[in-house]
Amino acid sequence: MMLEVPGAAMLEAVTLTKRYEDGVLALDHVSFAVKPGQIFAMLGANGAGKTTAINLFLNFIEPTDGEARIDGIVTHKEPLLAKQRVAYVSENVMLYPNFTAVQNLDYFARLGGKTGYTKDDYRSVLLRVGLSEDAHNKRLKGFSKGMRQKCGIAIAILKDAPAILLDEPTSGLDPKAGFEFQQLLDSLRTEGKAILMSTHDIFRAKEVADIIAIMNNGRIVMQEPASRLLGQDLERLYMQYMAGHTAAEAVA
Amino acid sequence: MLRTIIEKEIRDIIGSSKFAISFGVCAALILLCFVTGAVNYKTSQAQYEAAKAENLRQMEGLTDWFSVQQHRIFLPPHPLASLVSGVSNDIGRTTEVRGRGELNADGSRYAEDPVYAVFRFLDLEFLFQVVLSLLAILLGYDAISGEKERGTLRLSFSNGLPRATYILGKLIGSFLALIVPLLLALAIGSLIYPILGVPLSGIDWLRLALIILAGLLFVGAFLTLSVMVSAFTQRTSSSFLVLLVVWIGAVLIIPRASVLLAGRMVDVPSVDELASQKARLASQLMEEDRTRMSEFNTPPAAPGEDFEPDKMLKLFNTFMDSLADARDKQMAEFGGRLNEDRANKQQAQERLAFSIARVSPSASFALATSALAGTDMFLKEHYRDQTMDYQQEYGKFMKEKTGLNPGGRMVIMLRDDNENEKPKEIDPSEMPAFKYAPPAFAESFGRAIFDLGLLAFFNLLFFTGSVFGFLRYDVR
Ligand SMILES: Nc1ncnc2c1ncn2[C@@H]1O[C@H](COP(=O)(O)OP(=O)(O)OP(=O)(O)O)[C@@H](O)[C@H]1O
Ligand SMILES: [Mg+2]
Repeated sequence: MMLEVPGAAMLEAVTLTKRYEDGVLALDHVSFAVKPGQIFAMLGANGAGKTTAINLFLNFIEPTDGEARIDGIVTHKEPLLAKQRVAYVSENVMLYPNFTAVQNLDYFARLGGKTGYTKDDYRSVLLRVGLSEDAHNKRLKGFSKGMRQKCGIAIAILKDAPAILLDEPTSGLDPKAGFEFQQLLDSLRTEGKAILMSTHDIFRAKEVADIIAIMNNGRIVMQEPASRLLGQDLERLYMQYMAGHTAAEAVA
Repeated sequence: MLRTIIEKEIRDIIGSSKFAISFGVCAALILLCFVTGAVNYKTSQAQYEAAKAENLRQMEGLTDWFSVQQHRIFLPPHPLASLVSGVSNDIGRTTEVRGRGELNADGSRYAEDPVYAVFRFLDLEFLFQVVLSLLAILLGYDAISGEKERGTLRLSFSNGLPRATYILGKLIGSFLALIVPLLLALAIGSLIYPILGVPLSGIDWLRLALIILAGLLFVGAFLTLSVMVSAFTQRTSSSFLVLLVVWIGAVLIIPRASVLLAGRMVDVPSVDELASQKARLASQLMEEDRTRMSEFNTPPAAPGEDFEPDKMLKLFNTFMDSLADARDKQMAEFGGRLNEDRANKQQAQERLAFSIARVSPSASFALATSALAGTDMFLKEHYRDQTMDYQQEYGKFMKEKTGLNPGGRMVIMLRDDNENEKPKEIDPSEMPAFKYAPPAFAESFGRAIFDLGLLAFFNLLFFTGSVFGFLRYDVR
């Protein structure tokens, strides 16, 4: 808990670099830090390296250089320990189609080391992410993408980890669900979670994030506290960075 | 954690419609298999009893044992042979017993009812070999690659979850999900036998239990193989394809190819070749004896004695008998040498074929189960040994009754055609009965144990392979 004091990073990338076997440099010496109670939003074109960064935090791949740390633990050195401290929602949540929502939650909660949850806990978390009650005990087979996404988010909440990784969590959510998700993120931040989120939703990122980073070709080309971007047209800024302008030019 | 994964795996497999349908079909086939097995056995048993009765019936009314022609003995059906037919339908079951010479069995089931030879029987062995091995593949081919495709592997490994635990849970879970329901269906199926009135002895139950064990080990080998392949492939379509090719090779190709290959490598003279060699010697010996026969002379009647046809006939028959005995002995020696030589070569060929075939669990399974059911290749030899023992008994009996071992040859007799005295009929029930004893359990088990061990080894091998494959698996 010592690291939860403001100032110490919960999620940290230190000159994080990944070159894939085929030579693609997906991440090029990227550094950033997310503190407890902070939401860090990564924007960037398709193929910019966002998923790669998240995969490095989960030790799905090994860094070519640098390291990813969770709560100070280097993920590729002590992956099991590090991953106990992080919850994850993937781009396209796929769960067991033959299990009900509650069964899926129960299984993944147990994998995350949480064995004490009751039916009521599952019910309330599913309601919290906005899944209507009649769907709780239905098999996931018939769920829409957004409904599955909500289950995925519920699973992440149940893990109750200090750090959360979200890879385009709002893809597939309808506007109402998207808005509710934003409120959910707010409350998770209040609980002191450190949240790293990749997204294509510039407007929502601006509303909810504490820090906004724009990635291009494996580099972070802009990283600013959201408060400093308040008056700016983030979309225009994004386009400029994508066009290859330098930070100074763009902000000017 | 391990328990969580095992439980989830079992629930995932058993709850799937894939399982419900495929297992339902398999369970129905298992039951059907026991039903047809029992019915089949009862039919064979009835045919066997009828043939035995017919054999005795045709002796009725005969007035002397010399006239007994075509005394036949039969290999009785065995209840387990209907479950694991092995070679039992291919070998001759009927042996015509003569007092002398080689005995040959003919009248195999397939020869008599060729329609069965075309499509073969749906027996337990076939079910395991072809259907249940495919069921195992169906349940295991997507164990890992399927989780990856579904995206659940990523989510699972976003937790502090050791890979070894996960793959162990997968293996144990899928093993239980396949084996327990199968065992249940097989246990229920086994009960069909006594219900349909086919009794099994205690030893037969033990044999059946071991056959089922061999089957489960065989299916287990295919399941662990499937998990292993799924842990080396990234997509379910590729794991399925790989497994299909392996299945075709293991079940359909390797056992057959091994026999062909061994046949090319070790040359065994054909039975026809042997038969013509024997026939040549036989006619040569006969030729020699014919000269001896023509030189047969009764010692001149002592002075004062009358010519006694009875005595002369007796002398002649004894003379003929001794010639025949000598011929027999020479033939037996020669035939024995040829047979032994052929048997040795054949054994070398078989051993080679089996060694090659055992690359596939399918071969081990077939060898183990047919040994346990008493229907392996040794059945033919075993049956022949017993018919030959019986031949001795029969020869002794005939000698007792007639004073000669007729051996189906022409014998010159002088009939007392006493019109007044009606000749007495023989009593066919005096004829010694042929009692077939199936191979002893210890013997069968001894022949099966190696292949049972090999099947267990395959399980272990693929199990370890799965673990190693998965430790390096890209879980993204
Ligand atoms: N397994 C891989 N092997 C080789 N190159 C890869 C691999 N995975 C990703 N890449 C490459 O790395 C780069 C970054 O990909 P990444 O998936 O991290 O992008 P992203 O920012 O998540 O994109 P998106 O917004 O489409 O999700 C891309 O150029 C991609 O082609
Ligand atoms: Mg991505």
